[in-house]
Amino acid sequence: MKKNILLYYFLLLLCSTKSFSQSGSADKGTIQFVFINTVKGVPVVLNDSMYSNPFGESYSIKNLKYYISHITLANALKTAEKENYQLVDESNPESKIFSISCKPGTYTSVNFLLGVDSLHNVSGAQSNALDPMNGMFWTWNSGYIMAKFEGSSAASSQVNNRFEYHIGGFSGMNNVLKNISLPLPIDHLPTGQAGSLLTIHPNKTVTIFIEADLNKWWQQPNDISIVTTPVCTTPGELAKKIADNYSKLFRIKNIVTQ
Amino acid sequence: MLQRRVVIPILIIILAAIGTSYAIKAGDAVTLAPTPLQLTIPKGWPAPPKNIYANNPLTEQGFQLGKKLFYDGRLSQDGNFPCASCHQQFAAFASYDHDFSHGFDNSFTTRNAPGLFNLAWMPLLHWDGGINHIEVQPLGPLTAKNEMASNLDTVLKRLRTDTAYPKLFKAAFGSPIINSQRMLKALAQFTGSIVSYNSKYDKVKRGEASFTLNEQNGYNFFKAKCESCHKEPLFTDFSFRNNGLMVNSFLNDFGRMRITGDKNDSLKFKVPSLRNLTLTFPYMHDGRYYTISQAIDHYRTAIVTTQPTLDSALKNRIAISNAEKNNLMSFLFTLTDTTLTKSARYAEK
Repeated sequence: MKKNILLYYFLLLLCSTKSFSQSGSADKGTIQFVFINTVKGVPVVLNDSMYSNPFGESYSIKNLKYYISHITLANALKTAEKENYQLVDESNPESKIFSISCKPGTYTSVNFLLGVDSLHNVSGAQSNALDPMNGMFWTWNSGYIMAKFEGSSAASSQVNNRFEYHIGGFSGMNNVLKNISLPLPIDHLPTGQAGSLLTIHPNKTVTIFIEADLNKWWQQPNDISIVTTPVCTTPGELAKKIADNYSKLFRIKNIVTQ
Repeated sequence: MLQRRVVIPILIIILAAIGTSYAIKAGDAVTLAPTPLQLTIPKGWPAPPKNIYANNPLTEQGFQLGKKLFYDGRLSQDGNFPCASCHQQFAAFASYDHDFSHGFDNSFTTRNAPGLFNLAWMPLLHWDGGINHIEVQPLGPLTAKNEMASNLDTVLKRLRTDTAYPKLFKAAFGSPIINSQRMLKALAQFTGSIVSYNSKYDKVKRGEASFTLNEQNGYNFFKAKCESCHKEPLFTDFSFRNNGLMVNSFLNDFGRMRITGDKNDSLKFKVPSLRNLTLTFPYMHDGRYYTISQAIDHYRTAIVTTQPTLDSALKNRIAISNAEKNNLMSFLFTLTDTTLTKSARYAEK
């Protein structure tokens, strides 16, 4: 009798764990994000390629990193999906491709925070993407560099002709955090082409290609030329102006359902 | 009777078996889980403004690991500059007798190293308040070219290849993984739990000692003229104020303005605690005054009254007679805590 009861409990346990794991994955789809950093549509090549900004200043790019976090997909229900922090680093191809799981449905916009939310700027030592080893945490004025863009240009009067933009600041009047919303369907694709809408199916993966065009870093609404502004490495007015520009860097290039 | 003879030994055997199984469990707990510690909050003190250990449970093993890191020169590029090189226990963890501390490659720091105690109550660290959490503070000195001149990558590689550290990280955090987050959390467990509360002043407050007449007069004067900024029992209100020091044209250090970008914060520095004052000389953010006497004279005769951001309480300087100054100094001497400076708990070995 006692043996039977034990066996019964054992079976019950087995069944319950199985059904739990099934329901955990069955109703979700996957979105894979691919970030493509470009200058006017041409994918960035670090160090070796020369580019020209809207002021006709030629430059090369040494370093390009930015944080993507709090990704949400919105429809009428405003479904929030993930808080995850991704450091997109041009020098690390793996960092430009990452996935999140998502409830099935049809969505009208892809939203994310460019940067690290204020809470994680004041909560002590973090790990993984937020590890200070990634060179995105200020040691003299606690807080994350939300976006980093470095290179060289003959237009710069700084040492070794460098330009260096470390854009950060998370509180009060120095806040550079940008909520970015990319609407759907994307209007630059021919109608009817697969990928113009974002529909997530259970157990399927949708890949969203997001293009960041660095040509927009320098202009609109604020003119940032290398000759006048080669460096910004502190929070403040200038950082906010540059963040206003880079908030318009992104667009959805394509959506591919597999 | 016979029954009892049988039952009692059986009971003893059962109890012994239960006892043994508990003993094994307790033994496991000691080796697997670190021993929790409580931050000391002295009687009568306010609670810390936030719990610095909310995401970093304070444990004996974490504290000991943090202490080892604090005294380990390998955290600096050339091995010569552990945290403790500028923060010496015998000086209440300040740099004894140095306006600026020595850093890597014969360099100087640009501000006076403060004593490290009662940090759990300090909302913002550094003279300009640039550091918003105790865990991220070590990143500053560790990477500064004129301090430890190292970087996280180098330091973590050294710790990982050391024979002792992986075991100590396992004891503190459950696995031998060594990363920056764990290193910084361990350091915070050590530095944040240094609490200084055994000066003569504290003993008087607890009824274990009494002031001399001079000390009592000095205390009365202090409460009337100094306490609005150097608030008891921590002897600072942690605010940022301009106390009217002439700008050092070599350093051009404008303090808090560098952090906030607000010109109203020009020349403001954190009000330092006066605890352990006799050990933490020289005084002010740039260590310009070597004696307590000079520091007091600043307030009565040397405040630059033309600076727009000068603290309103200092607009007319502070009237202090020679007798009042002597009494005040007698009182300030009672703030030295030799329990802190001699504690084996905080010592390297």
